[in-house]
Amino acid sequence: MRHAANSLATKTALQILHMPDRTAIQSLILESVQMLAEDFELEALKAPNPQTALYGGDGSLDSMALVNLIADIEEALAEKFDVSIALADEKAMSAKNSPYRNVASLTDAVIERMPT
Amino acid sequence: MKTIVITGTRKGIGKEMADHYLAEGWQVVGCSRGEGSIEHDHYQHFALDVSDEDAVIAMARTIKASHGKVDALLNNAGIASMNHALLTPASTVNRILQTNVVGTFLFCREMAKLMRRTENGRIINFTTVAHPLNLEGEAIYAASKAAVESLTRILARELAELKITVNAIGPTPIETDLIRGVPQEKMDALLARQALGRMGEVRDVINAVDFYLREESDFITGQVLYLGGIN
Ligand SMILES: NC(=O)c1ccc[n+]([C@@H]2O[C@H](COP(=O)([O-])OP(=O)(O)OC[C@H]3O[C@@H](n4cnc5c(N)ncnc54)[C@H](OP(=O)(O)O)[C@@H]3O)[C@@H](O)[C@H]2O)c1
Repeated sequence: MRHAANSLATKTALQILHMPDRTAIQSLILESVQMLAEDFELEALKAPNPQTALYGGDGSLDSMALVNLIADIEEALAEKFDVSIALADEKAMSAKNSPYRNVASLTDAVIERMPT
Repeated sequence: MKTIVITGTRKGIGKEMADHYLAEGWQVVGCSRGEGSIEHDHYQHFALDVSDEDAVIAMARTIKASHGKVDALLNNAGIASMNHALLTPASTVNRILQTNVVGTFLFCREMAKLMRRTENGRIINFTTVAHPLNLEGEAIYAASKAAVESLTRILARELAELKITVNAIGPTPIETDLIRGVPQEKMDALLARQALGRMGEVRDVINAVDFYLREESDFITGQVLYLGGIN
């Protein structure tokens, strides 16, 4: 259940100076998904891509795994890019519009919340 | 070293609890709208409003970076207003709900994330005997604490899988600024309804907090403990 501290902790001055682009955010999410998949032994998520389903529908996360993933991503964003955002969302439980559907929708949700 | 987050530490019960847990060897992280009033190597203060979502998130990220994790949370910050319902403006209602309900919720949400990697996370919320006693003049305050009690019971279930217990303490009147405006006859009438008719003290609260904090209390969650023999 518990998992090791996120290895994304290393931050460089360069990363803090420049706001991350979509690719950087997406790879941070993919890495978080991968680590969670190891901890929770979720085969379907061990090699994720942007279309990999996460939560609801075909997604393989239960609500506790999702909560852990979201908290991991929030922590990694703070550590790597020095931004503090919460991924709490009103549409969380909606099958069609949930930002937690897949890696791509989660990436959109992070970008939406990035400070401008 | 264990880390405890206590809201509302500038004065009152929160300040005394912070002093107590510092003396017991905890790292204490506190907050209040005003500047901190505690000087201690193991104390860190955040000047923020507990209902300010962005500020609470930023505080959590800072704690994560400096302390790594949180072991316990005391959701003590709270405000009251004594007034007849027909004379209470909506602005007061909003202010009380924001601090007591939204503030408690935000701290539960953000600190629970920082408790994920501890085996014995503890959240202790603050309610009041004004709720079970249905005290006239305290409709909004008591209603806000009823919400805190409901939150306590449901979060106890939602956070059980993370091994976090969520409980509440309902003190009787304790001499602080919070009850300064309450007339003496009202206070006497209130004390008369307690099984034990004395004023409460912060040590009574700390005793109950200590009970919830104990490692052995890991089978106790979703409970509301009123002091003074009120139920
Ligand atoms: N005293 C009693 O008789 C009694 C009885 C039952 C329950 N309680 C509960 O015990 C808790 C503490 O009460 P108390 O008697 O110690 O009250 P108090 O003496 O008035 O102190 C309240 C503390 O909370 C802080 N605070 C208030 N609003 C805040 C906000 N929006 N954001 C951040 N901090 C805030 C205050 O600092 P700033 O002003 O700097 O923000 C202060 O440090 C409350 O939840 C209360 O409902 C008290």
